[in-house]
Amino acid sequence: MEENIIEVENLTKIYENGNVLAVDNIDLHIKQGEIFALLGPNGAGKTTTISMLATLLSNTAGQAIVNGYDIKKHPDKVRKSIGIVFQEPSLDGDMKGIENLEIHAILYGMPKKIRNAKIKEVLKLVDLEDKAEIFVRNYSGGMKRRLEIARGLLHEPKILFLDEPTLGLDPQTRRKIWEKIKELNKGESKITILITTHYMEEADELADRICIMDHGKIIALDTSKNLKKQLSGDVIDIEFDKIEDTSLLPSLISQLKEIPGIKHISLGDSKNNQEEIPLNLPKNIPNIDPNVIKARMQEMMQDPKKLLMAWKNFPMSQQMFQDAPLEMKKKIANMFNDDLIKDIPENIREVIINIKNGVFEDDNSREISKISISCEHGGKQLPLIMQNIDQKKIIIKNIYMHQPTLEDVFLHYVGTKIREETSDRTKDIKKRIQMRQLTR
Amino acid sequence: MSDLNLKHIGINYPAVWILTKREVIAFWRDKARIISSFAQAILFLLVFGYSLGQNTFPPGFNYKAYLASGIGALTILFTGIFGGMGLMRDKMFGFMKELIVAPVSRQTLMIGRTLGIAIQTVIQVLIILTLGIAFGFLGYNPDLFLRILIIIPIALAASMGIVGIGLIIGTKIRNFQSFGLIQTFIVMPMFWLSGTILPITNDSILYPIYQYNPFSYCVDLFRSVLIGINNFDIWLDILVMSAFAIGLILLGAISFNKMDVS
Ligand SMILES: Nc1ncnc2c1ncn2[C@@H]1O[C@H](COP(=O)(O)OP(=O)(O)OP(=O)(O)O)[C@@H](O)[C@H]1O
Ligand SMILES: [Mg+2]
Repeated sequence: MEENIIEVENLTKIYENGNVLAVDNIDLHIKQGEIFALLGPNGAGKTTTISMLATLLSNTAGQAIVNGYDIKKHPDKVRKSIGIVFQEPSLDGDMKGIENLEIHAILYGMPKKIRNAKIKEVLKLVDLEDKAEIFVRNYSGGMKRRLEIARGLLHEPKILFLDEPTLGLDPQTRRKIWEKIKELNKGESKITILITTHYMEEADELADRICIMDHGKIIALDTSKNLKKQLSGDVIDIEFDKIEDTSLLPSLISQLKEIPGIKHISLGDSKNNQEEIPLNLPKNIPNIDPNVIKARMQEMMQDPKKLLMAWKNFPMSQQMFQDAPLEMKKKIANMFNDDLIKDIPENIREVIINIKNGVFEDDNSREISKISISCEHGGKQLPLIMQNIDQKKIIIKNIYMHQPTLEDVFLHYVGTKIREETSDRTKDIKKRIQMRQLTR
Repeated sequence: MSDLNLKHIGINYPAVWILTKREVIAFWRDKARIISSFAQAILFLLVFGYSLGQNTFPPGFNYKAYLASGIGALTILFTGIFGGMGLMRDKMFGFMKELIVAPVSRQTLMIGRTLGIAIQTVIQVLIILTLGIAFGFLGYNPDLFLRILIIIPIALAASMGIVGIGLIIGTKIRNFQSFGLIQTFIVMPMFWLSGTILPITNDSILYPIYQYNPFSYCVDLFRSVLIGINNFDIWLDILVMSAFAIGLILLGAISFNKMDVS
């Protein structure tokens, strides 16, 4: 019988300061040697869950056993059993790569004899041997992430927590890190990995089991295959041309729902294509190859300082930011720490600060021009769907029918929730803002 | 993000050692900071040493020695407070999370940091006193060497208290913007109102503040050991300074224990 290395029961966390129920009575049983993914949108409670399991945060209720130790009674033993890569960077930039590892090794009580050999070993694992003597502040984002993974593994933990390990990395680097993660999970010393992510492909690619979380609750938990099986049938993605009358879409959806065989309709983009930067180019730029601009943007998305320069020198780029999709704004907001924020031009700063504080309008409601329909037999329902759309005189740009993917599963669970609870959610956000103001 | 503390596991000495070493290495690598701290000391020595003629002071009062020893003591204040506040950097850049999640107690983390800064302080004090000697401000007595040796433990102890202040501030503030405030409202008053550079005599209206500034006693002890000039009784100096150091380091520890990293 397989042993469970993490046993979580009724785990709950309420943040007193914001009065937020971040984790709501969850149960988890993670097997020895398994890669387990926590998948969920922003604010789902993934980081909070990991923080409690890593004994960084006290739990409000419930209990958890990690590697046989209770998180409340033996936090020190728990800490020695785990390695953790935080969502935010946590390296000392003023030290060399190897020094970061040395400090870690000594903090974790590794004897001198094995220390150096082990440091070499983990550096090799993440391909950073030749960069060990370089100051971490000069590392690229991907190198930093790899060094953090190496550091998390240094003291030979039984369990590795990876909190969004590939956030903000380019596709090649992401893939490389996936390879490393898979490597760790091979062989006889199979290390158990708990990974959080909002990239579906990541969960699909790596995880033995996937747990979808939203609003602090577990909504679904199974292997990727089984999750997809639940959505048997076909998925039809329909992309519309710009819809002028915004009331058309909701009434269309309620009509479509009446069609027999249609199980579920969700709004938005099921192809969560994170790798391409979406961009709305202003119409009146003369003689500049859009590809050049795209390349420049790509560059700027790596370095907040370059973005700042652009905003300062080209007012056009400020407009581009304002027009950018929320996803991209969020990405940009994440690049700025407190120190850099003050250099941002004022009108943009406000938007970024709001996003950082979790205050933003989902532009879904405004800009949705896609729906994703899951139905029993695409071939049978498609004509009826087309007929309905035609009656409304909505112009279709693209139709795509396919087998359900993990994205569809995610939308099925999370997307519906967001839609059905829209009013609650806005209330929720308002309440949080009020709370924030009160606690200040 | 963190509100848990491993109180029961005591102090991990190898961890203290590596954290101390980290502080000292960081100090050594930050050449700009070292240079500016010495340039400032030299500037003070030259400007104050030569702008006030010997006639300004009562006969027999060796102002140059007074000044050089005061600036030595001043180093304790500047290095200690800004060194302690340096933990804010670790908070901002996230390294504090790595420290907090390690299987060591917060006392371990705090002692390592405090010791590291105290050592930086002592190194700087020694260099500045050497400068004072090189400028001829401190005379060339052979027993000066012995006096400087006694200064080392005093500087260490005083430094602990001052670092405590820095830690308390560093755990509370969240960004560099507050640096100016701290500078204006804590560091500068403590500096100017402790008789480091200009004596504050007992007929001055500032004297009561001088008297209630704990740092005055550190400066006084420092000076009485180094050049034999003192304002307060040496035992009072020792008493006040020890109470100050112990009290603040405890407060620093409490504040460090409660620190929330997010
Ligand atoms: N220190 C805190 N104080 C108050 N509320 C908090 C704190 N940290 C997180 N929260 C709230 O708890 C909820 C869960 O946050 P958490 O960081 O666990 O989400 P997450 O799933 O990791 O999201 P993300 O994908 O953005 O990292 C959010 O509503 C968040 O606003
Ligand atoms: Mg998170």
